[in-house]
Amino acid sequence: MVWLHGDSLSDQDPAALRYPGADRVFVFDRLFLKQAQLSFKRLFFLYECAAEAVQEIRLGEIVEELQEAIRQRGAERLAVTESVSPRWKEVVAELKKKIEVEVVPAAGMVDVPDGFEAKRFTPFWKKFGREWEG
Amino acid sequence: MKLERFSGDREQVGRKFAEVMVGLYGETPENAKPSPYSGGRKAGMEALAKFSVHGYANTRNKIHGNVSRLSFYIRHGVLGLREVAESVRNRFGRSYDAVKFWQELGWRQFWRLVYARLGDRIYEDLEPPKVNLGKDFPEELPEEIQAGKTGLVCMDECVRELTQTGYMHNHARMWFASFIIHFRKLGWKAGERFFYRHLLDGDPASNALSWQWVASTFSHRPYLFNKENIQENGGKKWCERCQAKCPFDATYPELEKRLFSL
Ligand SMILES: Cc1cc2nc3c(=O)[nH]c(=O)nc-3n(C[C@H](O)[C@H](O)[C@H](O)COP(=O)(O)OP(=O)(O)OC[C@H]3O[C@@H](n4cnc5c(N)ncnc54)[C@H](O)[C@@H]3O)c2cc1C
Repeated sequence: MVWLHGDSLSDQDPAALRYPGADRVFVFDRLFLKQAQLSFKRLFFLYECAAEAVQEIRLGEIVEELQEAIRQRGAERLAVTESVSPRWKEVVAELKKKIEVEVVPAAGMVDVPDGFEAKRFTPFWKKFGREWEG
Repeated sequence: MKLERFSGDREQVGRKFAEVMVGLYGETPENAKPSPYSGGRKAGMEALAKFSVHGYANTRNKIHGNVSRLSFYIRHGVLGLREVAESVRNRFGRSYDAVKFWQELGWRQFWRLVYARLGDRIYEDLEPPKVNLGKDFPEELPEEIQAGKTGLVCMDECVRELTQTGYMHNHARMWFASFIIHFRKLGWKAGERFFYRHLLDGDPASNALSWQWVASTFSHRPYLFNKENIQENGGKKWCERCQAKCPFDATYPELEKRLFSL
């Protein structure tokens, strides 16, 4: 099964492309939404993205909902595309205690080695933007 | 729990979704309306195919300039950053406009890298401010600002676009953030949250770090604007309708003196 989250919400998601036969699932995080009180427009935009991208949309606590979706499918592993969000990292750490999780790297516009300390834009772009600057 | 797939036209689907999600969004259910911008890969691909980069560099700062409005698709990974960059290269080749556009895409990756390194620390001042920002900031923006009822037509119109469509032009975001932080001395955090709730492209990294960039807690100097800048890039229509005493009608040295020598 592939978990699509808000940073990677289409069928072109790298984890989805790696496992084209697997079901894709998106979860609305009830607790987060309750606190964040985002505008309905935002939520509906996400719904429209998800409706096109996944077989199943769920609402609730993310880890529980994903576990339930996996159980119902009799799936053995979960694949997900990497995100830099701390909340995503927490969820993945929690999931890994319970099921096998494969994290697929996300693609950027330019390749930047791990550990690069981004501080100001101009030096960053001088160093890595060459392919696009010509 | 599983969410049902709703059928019907967009408005009907919106109404059904609003019922199921009640309590989980900011508006009352009667006021819950879809944005004019549709979500989904299909809509994203159409918007990308329609976008021509011609004129981007010279008009992107204008409110009615040729910007892509692809940010919400990019934000949610519906369109890949590289995919968008390559589409422009394949269709238009390398040009002054294209290079400028790629640079803007580069900003997005840059903010993301900062976020990857700092995590939730992006929600606190990353550097000491370079000017006096004031103190005792509110948790939320004053109601009249959120409702677009300050009487300053330029600011009110920008806010109305945001709350009605979920989009705001980059230059308007810069003006509004500068207004909140430097003219009203409300700090950057309440504005950051307001944007995050409403922007379809609301993104922790691009949003919080841009607010800090305007504030000067993640840049060498604060971002300021004046009436001349508004008229040059937003047109004169707003000012013609405006009855308020304009706080922006001054030269930059005058503004710096008024706003920062507290
Ligand atoms: C106070 C403030 C808050 C902002 N909050 C967000 C936010 O939450 N999410 C967000 O995506 N952008 C944010 N931006 C950056 C920028 O305003 C938007 O990305 C841009 O206006 C989106 O419109 P567009 O797609 O028509 O842009 P275009 O000019 O067509 O640019 C093409 C793409 O490049 C990227 N981009 C362009 N400018 C920037 C920038 N300055 N920083 C990062 N990426 C950029 C976006 O992905 C955009 O879709 C913010 C800017 C400011 C000043």
